[in-house]
Amino acid sequence: MITPPEISWIAIAPDLALAIGAALVLLVDVQWKPAPRVLGWVVGAILAVAAGLTIVQWAQGADALAAGDTDSLVAFSGLITMDGFAIFSRVVLIAATGLGLAAGWRFVVSLGRRGAEAIALVLLATTGFSLMVAANNLVMLFLGLEVGSIALYVLAGLARERRESEEAAIKYFLLGSFASAVFIYGVALIYAGTGSFEILGIRQHLNDFVISNPAVIYIGIGLVVAGLGFKVSAAPFHTWAPDVYQGAPAGLVGYMAAVAKVAGFAAIARILLTAFSDLADTWLPVVAGISVLSMVLGSVLALVQGDVRRLLAYSGVAHAGFIMTGVVGGATDGVLFYLAIYAIQLVGAFAVVAVVSGPDGAGSSLDEYRGLGRRSPLLAGAFTILLLGMGGLPITSGFVAKFGVFTDAWAQGYQWLVIVAVIASVVAFAFYIRVIVVMYMDDAGEEQPLRVGPERWVLALAVGATILWGIFPSSLLDLAADALPI
Amino acid sequence: MLTALILLPVAAAIVVALIPGRRREIHLSLGIALSVMPLALAGYLFWVFEPAAGFQYVVDVPWYEPWGIAWNLGVDGISLPMVVLTTLLVPIALAASTTITNRTKEFVMYTLLLEAGMIGAFLALDLFLFFVFFEAMLIPMYFIIGIWGTERRIYAAVKFFIYTAFGSALMLAAIIGLALTYASQEGSASFALSDLAGLDLSVGTERMFFAAFAIAFAIKVPLFPFHTWLPDAHVEAPTAGSVLLAAVLLKLGTYGLLRFNLSLFPDASVDAIPIMAILAVVGIIYGAVVAIVQPDLKKLVAYSSVSHLGFIVLGTFALTSGGLQGAVIQNVNHGLTTGALFLLVGMIYDRRHTKKIADFGGLQKSVPLLAGFFLFMTFASIGLPGLNGFVGEFLVLIGSYPALPSFTVIAAFGVVLAAIYLLWAYERVFTGVPDKEENSVLSDLSGREIALLVPIAVLIIVIGLYPKLLLDKITPSTEAVLDNIVEQTDYTMPEPGRIGDVLVAGGE
Repeated sequence: MITPPEISWIAIAPDLALAIGAALVLLVDVQWKPAPRVLGWVVGAILAVAAGLTIVQWAQGADALAAGDTDSLVAFSGLITMDGFAIFSRVVLIAATGLGLAAGWRFVVSLGRRGAEAIALVLLATTGFSLMVAANNLVMLFLGLEVGSIALYVLAGLARERRESEEAAIKYFLLGSFASAVFIYGVALIYAGTGSFEILGIRQHLNDFVISNPAVIYIGIGLVVAGLGFKVSAAPFHTWAPDVYQGAPAGLVGYMAAVAKVAGFAAIARILLTAFSDLADTWLPVVAGISVLSMVLGSVLALVQGDVRRLLAYSGVAHAGFIMTGVVGGATDGVLFYLAIYAIQLVGAFAVVAVVSGPDGAGSSLDEYRGLGRRSPLLAGAFTILLLGMGGLPITSGFVAKFGVFTDAWAQGYQWLVIVAVIASVVAFAFYIRVIVVMYMDDAGEEQPLRVGPERWVLALAVGATILWGIFPSSLLDLAADALPI
Repeated sequence: MLTALILLPVAAAIVVALIPGRRREIHLSLGIALSVMPLALAGYLFWVFEPAAGFQYVVDVPWYEPWGIAWNLGVDGISLPMVVLTTLLVPIALAASTTITNRTKEFVMYTLLLEAGMIGAFLALDLFLFFVFFEAMLIPMYFIIGIWGTERRIYAAVKFFIYTAFGSALMLAAIIGLALTYASQEGSASFALSDLAGLDLSVGTERMFFAAFAIAFAIKVPLFPFHTWLPDAHVEAPTAGSVLLAAVLLKLGTYGLLRFNLSLFPDASVDAIPIMAILAVVGIIYGAVVAIVQPDLKKLVAYSSVSHLGFIVLGTFALTSGGLQGAVIQNVNHGLTTGALFLLVGMIYDRRHTKKIADFGGLQKSVPLLAGFFLFMTFASIGLPGLNGFVGEFLVLIGSYPALPSFTVIAAFGVVLAAIYLLWAYERVFTGVPDKEENSVLSDLSGREIALLVPIAVLIIVIGLYPKLLLDKITPSTEAVLDNIVEQTDYTMPEPGRIGDVLVAGGE
């Protein structure tokens, strides 16, 4: 007799809202063929509901924690948690989805009747990643990962009239499925070594027993990290990123990159820092190695790019390295803060790209940005602040984020890593500055005015967040500090 | 009050940003008018400052408590003159920028933001906060050079940015290391200078941290061999940029050495005396020799900065009363005279559109006033007794001699070399027969230009004749730095190390 697990609706409420919302968008579209504006309101409502439910989860979780009852945070026989870590990550995901859709709205509209598909795919991707960050079970995590990733593969190819978009989709799909396979193989090995899929179960097992033959577990961890490293485009698993960033529809790239990074890093942090915290001595050097490789390769290769999207892709590799230093530092709050900040800035930066190269345009040669400071001072100003924020200039949130993860890594005894990291940040400045030089100091090529649509709201929010949290980081830092995994 | 001093320029920048309109005169004059407010406040601060009271008007508001960072400001005799200098030169630099015709609004904004950053860096007593200001001011300066500079401006701007950012990156690592050491020793996080200064560090760690800070500041000063960005940046920058760069930004390097290296790492500072002294003296002689052969007037003044700043570093690391007092006062002097020289070079450039010394000759016939001011500033820079440069250089040399006699003797030749390159340049530019047609028809200084130069000239004379005005404010603070070193290390000050006191006391 199998007893079905007890259903805790609140634990999956936001995910349900998103998934049902995705179906709803498709149905509404078929039935009424509404104007894009109506769909916009529908999506907004869905995201608001999801966010609201997440906050309800948070309130419940806070009550449970106050009562010292951590068990009630785990639902579905240990598949799903509603710990602070999951909730924080989910809020970031939902925020990135809202901003990302606004940034890509003109692309969605340009798809005509297929626009609803794009919206549904975005919502599904967010559903998957949202389940992934809340998963307490490696198989559950894999399910979330796949739901999210497959939706992203399709999104990359959505502008299928363009060959680059198709190429991006195929590349992303092939390499991505390979990475998923590597990940699930790692999960299998971990199961073989510990007899559990559950994050908490694995930790318990490692705590209770002396592992006689740890090689299986080590290889398992390695494969899991490699698979997730692909999703977050950490070197040496980053080779897909530039092509995909360049080929996928401009408006949505920011969203795609941001949610994949947030979910991927949340998973890495949860697996390594919670499940395998006892084996830290084993994986720390490996993660530190990936971190250094990502920072160095990403920064140096970004220097020589002539295309803004490829530049942002390589800078994303470098950022993966910086976030890895936070994982090395062993503190989830630094990682979460960095992810939140970076996701917003990334979506904002691609909103600029979407304006400059048109909603579905291919490539974004640096030449197109020549004289942007004159053509559209506000756009250029926003881009400048976002780039400086990504570079980590003080009084932007990027600096606080970098400072946090570097401090953690230093405290962990990885001083050399911090020194490499600060030098890599200077190199990173060099290429962000290059873009700024082109925008302000070169003379304008063409003087066509640019049309800025809903992107302006994305930019206003992203710039506001970059500066506000740069000067007053406490509000977000406090939240991140409370958002601990169980 | 100190917070207001930092926020006033920011507020002014916002006001300028909000004023629409295409007429550049509005933005520029508004900027000048608004930048007088911080000057007034700084002047008041100078007036009410109590020399003996250490850090004053301290503001200490927690910023993010778990990390121990705080909005921690305070002023003492070392930072006070720098703050006043900064607030004085910003209006002057703005007023000298009437030739900037494109994007004036942005220019004024960047200059005001730069001012806020500089004041903040001088006042910060929290290392995190200091770093924030130290880095944040790079951006306005970068834009000022990169947008309003001359032909190779972008190269110069990027070089300036990367050099400085590289230096400060290492400093950031050291700051993190220091704060974490404090956290592990005391159990609570703090970035406050006063907390971190009392740390017990192992010899190796202290030297490493010292090196990280010293490299950051040495690039900023710039000390030989980190100086190569400076001539490029100066030559390409617009006049206002050059003035602020030379007069204030570079001083952050010497100020940082004095404020942070000496008090955070006393042991390592004592150990590093020979290295710093060698670099300083090499800089003095090298800068002077290179300045002699420069064909470009602006580059000549730029290299003279390398030479003059060497004196300041030498005085700092002589670790005697005279040396430190001389270093601080020379910070001010160099800001005034070199700032004025850059203004004058800019004025010449506005008239003749060239900076090549060979293009000039006999200018004093057509522009006697300009020539007069140039000669005056030259004398001040060389260190003619009765003018400010003499006081500073004399104190540095007399302070350094007991500690580092041979270095001081070599450095003294720098004074002679300064006389050679500056007077020779004056001779080639201003004296002789005007053999070129263009040079004889130039118009002399306008009332506005005279108004810019006169305040600087007056201060030069005042400091030259009555240095006590400044020294009284400076001395207690520099003595405190010295006392701290003597207390914390087994450094014995060479006799007569406190001769600066004797001189000042004797003058009364």
